[in-house]
Amino acid sequence: MSPLRPNRLLQAMGYLVATVTSVLFLYPYWWMLVSAFRPTRAIMSDPLRPWPEALSFQIFSEIGRIGGVNLSTYALNSVLITSAATVLGVGVTALGAYALVRRPRAPGFSLVRYGFLVTIMYPYMLLVIPVYLVMFRLGLLGSYAGIILFLALGPLQFFLFEQFFRKIPSEVIEAALIDGASEWQILTRVVMPMAMPITATVALITFLLNWAQWFPILVISRSPDTYTLPVALLSMNSELGSNFQGIMALAVLTTLPVAALFLLAQKRVMEGMASGAVKG
Amino acid sequence: MTDLLARMARDRIFYLFVAPFAALTILFGLWPILLSIQVSFTASASALKPNPSYVGFANYASVLADPIFLASLSRTLLYTALAVVANLAFALFFAMLLDSALLKRGNLFFRLAIFLPVITPDVAGYVVWRWLYDRSFGAINAALKMLGLPAFGGLSSVDTAMLAVLIAELWHHAGFYMIIFLANLSMRDRTLEEAAHVDGATAWQRWWYVILPQLRPAIVINTVYALIQFLKTFTVVVVMTKGGPNDQTNFVSYYAYQLFDQARYGEATAMATILFAIVIAISLTAYRIGDREPARA
Repeated sequence: MSPLRPNRLLQAMGYLVATVTSVLFLYPYWWMLVSAFRPTRAIMSDPLRPWPEALSFQIFSEIGRIGGVNLSTYALNSVLITSAATVLGVGVTALGAYALVRRPRAPGFSLVRYGFLVTIMYPYMLLVIPVYLVMFRLGLLGSYAGIILFLALGPLQFFLFEQFFRKIPSEVIEAALIDGASEWQILTRVVMPMAMPITATVALITFLLNWAQWFPILVISRSPDTYTLPVALLSMNSELGSNFQGIMALAVLTTLPVAALFLLAQKRVMEGMASGAVKG
Repeated sequence: MTDLLARMARDRIFYLFVAPFAALTILFGLWPILLSIQVSFTASASALKPNPSYVGFANYASVLADPIFLASLSRTLLYTALAVVANLAFALFFAMLLDSALLKRGNLFFRLAIFLPVITPDVAGYVVWRWLYDRSFGAINAALKMLGLPAFGGLSSVDTAMLAVLIAELWHHAGFYMIIFLANLSMRDRTLEEAAHVDGATAWQRWWYVILPQLRPAIVINTVYALIQFLKTFTVVVVMTKGGPNDQTNFVSYYAYQLFDQARYGEATAMATILFAIVIAISLTAYRIGDREPARA
């Protein structure tokens, strides 16, 4: 493949660099996991201990209530908000991108596309006050609906769908039109079956990205009742005299579901993210 | 006009398809942006009232005369430059290493290790890093001490806070840039390297003259993405430093957010608008420069 036969010394150096870097990248996960099982005082006296003194799951019942809300509520909110925003976002984005690709010159369509592209460039975190105002005017402040609607759209999702629809050969659609199919039939019988794999990829990536969201949720929420795990983690981390072991345990709970999902579907996620970005 | 209406009527099903997407873009994207720009021209005390009083460019003038903002802006630009270079250099180096014939075994493991932080919720990742840097809890200083090395100031020292933030952000973002380089590398024309080898080019010459030019698309995309990413740096500051120590990590996003908290809405939104303009100008310039020559890959 490569014109050069790999030289032994070079190869050993390559493995050394890759191994050391990978270990450094993974160590924070190990440290987080071990610290979740160690009493705060034990961590202070020996931060480097590679495994816990004893395996006790008691901390998870100790953090059973955070900020007056049950831990299970935060977890349920995470699952509910992330899933709903993913389903809504994938459906809306797929239809929108499809229409924009099929009729790029329809009046108003390029305005929609550029409007969306401009939105991506705006410093997200600085939308806080105006989004708060908009949610207030729409009566959505503090509601799940407000959070879910705000999280629905994302750039990577849009680019993935846009790129996929652009690659559908026009002959396929023309043939269906000649056979007398309506646009609705073309969408449901021709395009949607073809788009199944890309839809799965986008749904997966959207789920992973939405799970990590925290700022819009914090802004739109009126009380911790609608917080998700990352938001609960952030507020716990900002408290003074905080429970270090509890923070690490909550960080584990926040990370574990998406890390597991990613490892199960790593090929799809990495290839999807790379191709979604390449057409940005 | 009737022609236009006829065309729109014929395409009505596509308008139906695009309607929810357009509605969400307008309601939660364009409308808040316009509101924010509108607020930037009003007096903070009346900004949220039904009839705000307009003050023209007064907020912009006061922001541009604010020494803390100017310091924050220059630190943001410095940080962005350092972070873009560090992330792209790291990502390119690692992509080359993983793509080479050197690392056949364990290749997937290395890829996963570098990419896992990308899908790790940033709050969780930065919380862990914050404590890793801690003087009394942290593993980093404990390890340095064990090795007999001098302590690392981490987030509490003026000299190292920006570096500490940069390292944590590199951990979170570099894997994303790496897979884009890897995708580009796998699409390149390998026969060119063989030909260059036959013609007697050294390994360095083959890399610089044959491989690197083919990576132009990935370099352009990664640069634009990273510029937008790091100009807007926010979460890491909220979680790890709150802008400190001594404003060393008080980047524009965070400073503007602090003004919101103090109800200085006019100035905060003026800052947001200025940052927005800078993000658009810089990323369009980067895109123009990158796109000037047609990409070969």
